[in-house]
Amino acid sequence: MTDVAVEVASLSKWFGTFLALDDVSLRVPRGCSTVLCGPSGSGKSTLLRCLNGLETWQEGEVRIAGTRVRSRPGDLVALRRRVGMVFQSFHLFPHLDVLANVSLPPRINLRLPRAEAEDRAHRLLAEVGMAELARMFPAQLSGGQKQRVAIARALAMEPQVLLFDEPTSALDPESVGEVLDVMTQLAEHGRTMVVVTHEMGFARRVCHEVVFLSDGRIVECAPADRFFSDPASDRARTFLGQVCR
Amino acid sequence: MKTHVPDVGRGHRLVRGLGSRRSASSLLAWAVALVAAGITLPDIVGWALVDATWVAEDRAGCDPAGACWAFVVNRLPQFAFGFYPPEERWRAAVALAWPLVSLAIALGPGFRRRAAVVAAALAFYPPVAGLLLLGGLLGLPRVPTSQWGGMTMTVFVGTVAFVAAFPIGLGLALARRSSLPALRLLGTGFIEIWRGLPLIAVLFIAVVMVPLALPPGTELPRLVLALVGITLYTSSYLAEVFRGGLQSLGAGQGEAASALGFTYWSAQRYVVVPQALMAVVPGILNTVVALFKDTTYVLVVGLFDFLSIVSAAVADPRWLGLATEGYVFVGLVYWAFCFLLSRVSARIERDIGRGRERGRSA
Ligand SMILES: Nc1ncnc2c1ncn2[C@@H]1O[C@H](COP(=O)(O)OP(=O)(O)O)[C@@H](O)[C@H]1O
Ligand SMILES: [Mg+2]
Repeated sequence: MTDVAVEVASLSKWFGTFLALDDVSLRVPRGCSTVLCGPSGSGKSTLLRCLNGLETWQEGEVRIAGTRVRSRPGDLVALRRRVGMVFQSFHLFPHLDVLANVSLPPRINLRLPRAEAEDRAHRLLAEVGMAELARMFPAQLSGGQKQRVAIARALAMEPQVLLFDEPTSALDPESVGEVLDVMTQLAEHGRTMVVVTHEMGFARRVCHEVVFLSDGRIVECAPADRFFSDPASDRARTFLGQVCR
Repeated sequence: MKTHVPDVGRGHRLVRGLGSRRSASSLLAWAVALVAAGITLPDIVGWALVDATWVAEDRAGCDPAGACWAFVVNRLPQFAFGFYPPEERWRAAVALAWPLVSLAIALGPGFRRRAAVVAAALAFYPPVAGLLLLGGLLGLPRVPTSQWGGMTMTVFVGTVAFVAAFPIGLGLALARRSSLPALRLLGTGFIEIWRGLPLIAVLFIAVVMVPLALPPGTELPRLVLALVGITLYTSSYLAEVFRGGLQSLGAGQGEAASALGFTYWSAQRYVVVPQALMAVVPGILNTVVALFKDTTYVLVVGLFDFLSIVSAAVADPRWLGLATEGYVFVGLVYWAFCFLLSRVSARIERDIGRGRERGRSA
């Protein structure tokens, strides 16, 4: 076991001829939460999706808990069972109720017996404050409720790393807080998280490290306190000026 | 906050409604329909019911003023079972009733796991009903496929072709959307070839040309060859219906399943395909109705389905000149069956809708 949960070394990725990630290197220690920020189109989602193999890349290397991610289908499936992901637009399974959304992945992918998977789902739903709504269908939930179920669903696989891609960007302002509260709680319990977000207040309060991307390159990588109080690069300063108003 | 809506009153709304142009045209339509019914219905009812003869030995025993249903009544066993040996007819009756009972269960009162029960009943139908009709084991005398026929043949061919075409169509739809170019090409090619041929041509190819390609000496019954042809033909139509359902999902569902560690196959099984199928229930049932009616084409390769056995009976000298009765009966039976299918479709759609609603009250 290593203390580095995620390690990215000299990663480059092209979409056709467009260079989306340019020689990106990154380390996330276990138990730390890291924020990925940067202007729209800077490659945040792409980088995040490389970490669980939803995207392939051309150069460089990704290691999760010391194991190299290679794009062989069997390896990828094994990897994704150890890396959870929460999407901007939830992607809950609309044909299943909340309980089944959370209990299906461990039941099928970890071969847990149904009763055990449902126990786990009930426990996680209670953790995100959704215990009462276990029998609802996704279409009946508000955005914030959906995202909390999506977080519980990702946790049901007991992942070593949690990835969030703008988890609050599709939410109405009242719902943002309830999702950020859940994420704060996770970070405080020592979850390893990589979070793409524009919620700079959350980043500053909760996360340990900030990685600032621009045009597919890491421009700045610093402890959260320092990044917000004294950004080293002009581009980060401009960005913070825009995002924090 | 609740706003108070003043009670306008039902009668008021009704009067306003009647005054609108929509109601005027609807009244007109009703009037036309009633007049048309008034002109035609007495004649039809008089012929079909009032003056009809239900029991007679032959044509001469029928009242010429009305329908001679005695013909249909007399020939009913043959219409139902073809030339299946009379003492073995219970086997044909089981094969005929099985799919109908499955549909009735689908339409009847709901119970836990009803969908699974109906699916299992249909999945086991082809091998079990096939062996039951064919016999030659478990002490059942062998009945060659050339003696099968009538409604049993129609229902058997339709059900077997549907049950076999369903998984093939699903496989083709998945192949057509695969990320592997060779598989995609194969799926697309197969679908386009079979969909591009008229069913009659498919049947001729199956019955006339396939035996030429088989090693000499192998002999397959025409029914088997026709079944293979109809199955492949139907599977290409179903594949396109399924593909529509798969496309309605968008990439997010598949990605979410991948990100949770589902393998390709388990993602399809638990996440993608159930949603895709629910989205295209009307399209699937539409294909089944078309398939059921298309089974009449097996007559061109010498199989006696329901329609062709009635046609043959109409030429019987003892009942000459009763084509109207024969074909009206055929039409009613086909119509009833297709209507049953469309009720099943509506029922499934309603159940899916209610599934989405469930918990709203909880
Ligand atoms: N599938 C794709 N094909 C081509 N270009 C893409 C694709 N996905 C993303 N890109 C491009 O890569 C760049 C980075 O995208 P993304 O990672 O989504 O940015 P961010 O999440 O930071 O807004 C963008 O310029 C985008 O247009
Ligand atoms: Mg993005």
